[in-house]
Amino acid sequence: MGTGLGLGVGIAALGVGIGLGLIGNGALQGMARQPEAIGKLQTAMLIALAFVELVFLLTVFVAPFLIK
Amino acid sequence: MDAFLINGPSIFASADAMSAKEPSIWGLGAYIAFVLVILLVLMSYAKKGLSVRVFKNPVTSLFEQLYLFIENMCVSSIGQHGRKYIPMMMVFWLMIFVGNIVALLFPFAPTADLSFNLGMALIAVCYVQYEGVRANGLLGHLKHFTGPKLSGAMVAISGLIFTIEIISELMKNVSLSLRLYGNIHGGHLAVEAMNQLGNKIYVPLGVLVLLLIKLLTCLVQALIFTMLTCVYLSLVTHHSEDHAEEGHTATAH
Repeated sequence: MGTGLGLGVGIAALGVGIGLGLIGNGALQGMARQPEAIGKLQTAMLIALAFVELVFLLTVFVAPFLIK
Repeated sequence: MDAFLINGPSIFASADAMSAKEPSIWGLGAYIAFVLVILLVLMSYAKKGLSVRVFKNPVTSLFEQLYLFIENMCVSSIGQHGRKYIPMMMVFWLMIFVGNIVALLFPFAPTADLSFNLGMALIAVCYVQYEGVRANGLLGHLKHFTGPKLSGAMVAISGLIFTIEIISELMKNVSLSLRLYGNIHGGHLAVEAMNQLGNKIYVPLGVLVLLLIKLLTCLVQALIFTMLTCVYLSLVTHHSEDHAEEGHTATAH
């Protein structure tokens, strides 16, 4: 049981890590190209980060109940 | 290694141990009261330093910076009429931030309990609905859920959009509360696991390594909760500005 759980959470963490990296990449590129838009970009970036993070949290909280 | 895998600190398997660590409802109430007392003391101390000219009291100037930050957030995401939502956003930010910070010094934080977060998210979502009704009227607020204006047989699609929007409105609650709970509670579990990892060499690894990251998490979670509430407010109330403009042009004609 523990192995499956660990594997599932690991896969979720992999995907979410890629997603967070992509968001950071895009935001940093945008900030570097247009430094005057940093405020707006940061807001949008944090909101996107929150939504991606939520997916991982849902996985973490739903997975134990699915496996039982 | 095998024995470690079976008996070691498992984050999920010990659901009983997890729930055993959480205080009762009175304990939670005591922690919330504690947070409120901290806030009251800080803010009354800050209010003492208020003066017409320069604020010499450091706490006052700290709160001034915080106010400017929240004001900037409200105005940039809601617009010029976002200024009247500052007090609510300030309360959310302070409550969540201090509630998170408490966990770095004391064994528990109110925001690490799902019930408190759910209550706060309910307040936020109900406040957003209330402001939407106040800005557009009840019918205008309900019309806002039906999406673009469609005619003829496409009205059925409007009904479908309405249902989906209502569901998403209800899910805002879950997403707000679960995000905060997951981040804070998960951070506590991670610190516990790291501590147990360093137990053999008598070094509290979790406290040494993870607390700084948790400080960042505390800040960011308070920011995200407040910012998302701002965005929901802007989604609900931005029609009032259009109507005001329409009225203005109508009178101009």
